Amino acid sequence: MIEIKQVTKNFAGNAAVKDLDLTVPDGKIFGFLGPNGAGKSTTIKMMTGILPLDEGSISMNGVDISKEPIKAKHQFGYVPDRSDIFLRLKGMEYLNFIGDVFRVPENVRKEKIEYLTKSFDIYEALNDQIHTYSHGMRQKIVVSGVLLHDPDVWILDEPLTGLDPKSSYTLKEMMREHAAKGKTVFFSTHVLEVVEQLCDEVAIINKGHVQFRGSMKEMKQQFQEDNNLEKLFLELTQNE
Amino acid sequence: MSNTWKLMKLMVKMQLSFAHRSTAEKSGYLILAVVMIPFGLLILTLLNEMIAVMYEAFSPTGDEAVILGILFVLMTVFYCFITIGTVLSSFYFAEDVESFVTLPFHPYQIAAGKAAVPFLSLYGINAVILLPALGFYGLHSGAGILYYCWSFFIWLLLPVLPFVLTAIAIMFIMRFVNISKNKDRSKVVAGLLGFVFVIGINVVIRLESGNQDMYQLAVEQGNLLELVTKFFPTAYISSSALTAPASLQGILYLILMIGISAGGIALFFTIGQKLYFKGVLGLSGGKRNTFTADTVEGYVKKKPLIYSLCKKEVLLILRTPTFFTQIFVQSLILPVLAIVLITMEMDGPIGGAGAQLADMNGKTVILASAALSVVIFGSNPASISSISRDGKSWFNHLYLPVPPSKVIMSKMLTAYLLNAISLILLSAAALWMINIPLPIWGAWFILSLLISWIASAAGVMVDLYSPKLDWTDEREVFKGRFIGIVPLAIEALVFGVILVIVLNIKSLQGLWPVSGALFIIFLLLALLTQRALKKITERRYHKLL
Repeated sequence: MIEIKQVTKNFAGNAAVKDLDLTVPDGKIFGFLGPNGAGKSTTIKMMTGILPLDEGSISMNGVDISKEPIKAKHQFGYVPDRSDIFLRLKGMEYLNFIGDVFRVPENVRKEKIEYLTKSFDIYEALNDQIHTYSHGMRQKIVVSGVLLHDPDVWILDEPLTGLDPKSSYTLKEMMREHAAKGKTVFFSTHVLEVVEQLCDEVAIINKGHVQFRGSMKEMKQQFQEDNNLEKLFLELTQNE
Repeated sequence: MSNTWKLMKLMVKMQLSFAHRSTAEKSGYLILAVVMIPFGLLILTLLNEMIAVMYEAFSPTGDEAVILGILFVLMTVFYCFITIGTVLSSFYFAEDVESFVTLPFHPYQIAAGKAAVPFLSLYGINAVILLPALGFYGLHSGAGILYYCWSFFIWLLLPVLPFVLTAIAIMFIMRFVNISKNKDRSKVVAGLLGFVFVIGINVVIRLESGNQDMYQLAVEQGNLLELVTKFFPTAYISSSALTAPASLQGILYLILMIGISAGGIALFFTIGQKLYFKGVLGLSGGKRNTFTADTVEGYVKKKPLIYSLCKKEVLLILRTPTFFTQIFVQSLILPVLAIVLITMEMDGPIGGAGAQLADMNGKTVILASAALSVVIFGSNPASISSISRDGKSWFNHLYLPVPPSKVIMSKMLTAYLLNAISLILLSAAALWMINIPLPIWGAWFILSLLISWIASAAGVMVDLYSPKLDWTDEREVFKGRFIGIVPLAIEALVFGVILVIVLNIKSLQGLWPVSGALFIIFLLLALLTQRALKKITERRYHKLL
């Protein structure tokens, strides 16, 4: 479970996120939506410990990211939207590094690296440096790294961008399986069709405030039944 | 032509602009500039002294043009050496090469744009050494206004030909190196080129200077300048233009120099048009080795976290050409050069240095060798780039569950390890080639280990305080940051004060008591530095983005 309480973040005096409250329950796929510059990335960066919080608290499975950062970071796996990971490492070296960081036992590592990289079709590229990978392949190696240590909470920033249809399908299936096991999947996206297909719950953020939070059903009920998600999204995020 | 100009301006602005730098960084530069004034004055005084001595020696025989000849030859060698690295990085290894290739520019225009910053950077060293040197020569020779006017033109023109010829040679080589298939290998070879160049030049100069008969013959025939500038025609032409600036001959030489430089630029454009893209295209392909094993068994190894972090750092340095050249190769230049020199001078004064040290005062020897270690290990390129090397991937450290202290320690250990390689090489040469007495060697080695530890920690601290993470080309990590000088200046001051105090404590005499005292002081200093590093890590680690 992810709990975000009264979180505020300012940049040069301007609030990028203001008094944000959000609870992401276990067993759900949670979609985080918002237009460009709405505060999505800032929120995710604060959740993952990349940016410090100005006010409020964020906890992962009850562990506060500001107070116990190392313990909290062991609770989640993060797939960033940028593929600037450790590019000079080979795919295999990267996964071994992640294995060492998260203390994944050797036998589990062997089994999972093989399974995951074969599922994502990057097995043959494991001996290459990551900077020679395409964007999609980089995305796949990072996703493999996250799944390698199998954390309870998955935080995925635009995870499907750049993935081919097969890998996209595989990842979506994995997200469903993870949520079905009673664990948490939190992801941000711009692709509204994916939200409709995949999400149990959504939150829409605009100008640093949550505009809506609830299930897909609730969202449609709250607005006009016949509206599609695109229209709802535009309505919620339009400027006054 | 306007597109070429626009492209050049854009690239210069992107790399050298101060606009995106913070106020703290800008004030840092200002403070540094003020701190550098004494160093600058020291260099100027030394230059002036050297020129004065040489002028007195050469002017009676009318050979004073040789001073300019030597100056221009040395500068030409410098230009070529610097250009190899900067052009390779800018033309072929920079991350932004491909984004320019897709724009509707001619190859020569992109080559010209890419050449702008490497070329302008030559004027940094030009302004520090050549400009004042020409001024001092003018003062000593009592030159008139024309000399200073021509000097300015020569100052502007001298880097042109070495730069374009080196760039053309590199474009020619890269045309035939199949960079997309051998990218990593070609980058490593390129990194080593500069290294071999420095050693080679040194060996050649040593071999040439041993040729006394030739020197004598040249003096007798009055063509000493020709001898000195034998392989450097522009140095000969420039010296001749400045020796008699008011004469027709002097003016003709200046016009010739302008003509040669213009011709060089035209040649660069022509060859750039033909060759540049041939070397660049396919650059991002990278080498692919298909992983053919049926299972990952044997590739998966569980290691302690600190080992994994250090391995990541070492691989990053060895596999990134700029880091490989600037960090690994540079830390090896000094020891290897020293070993080459010692090998060539085994029968000379250096070979017998070990025996002489044994007869000297132990206190003086250990203080002097400790001071030498501060100079050699004081500026550690691996430590001053430890955070900046990560660039835009720095954020990865922030979401992984690794304590900041461990990440920083891995970076410091990597810097220390690379320093240790040069220390081991140097100490092996000192022990087996110069036969430095074992006690002196042992004391120096242990003190150097501590000095190197302090230097590595100081370097990491400085980079942690003001890292450069937003780079598009790895060279920006080192270029124009003056960051290497900061820890060196602090260490020079701290160690300088310690060594002077120890030197003046009359009751402290002999190799072992002095070494013991230094060991305790350096150990305390190392502990203090480590504590300071811990503090600055706590304060800065999460605030770098």
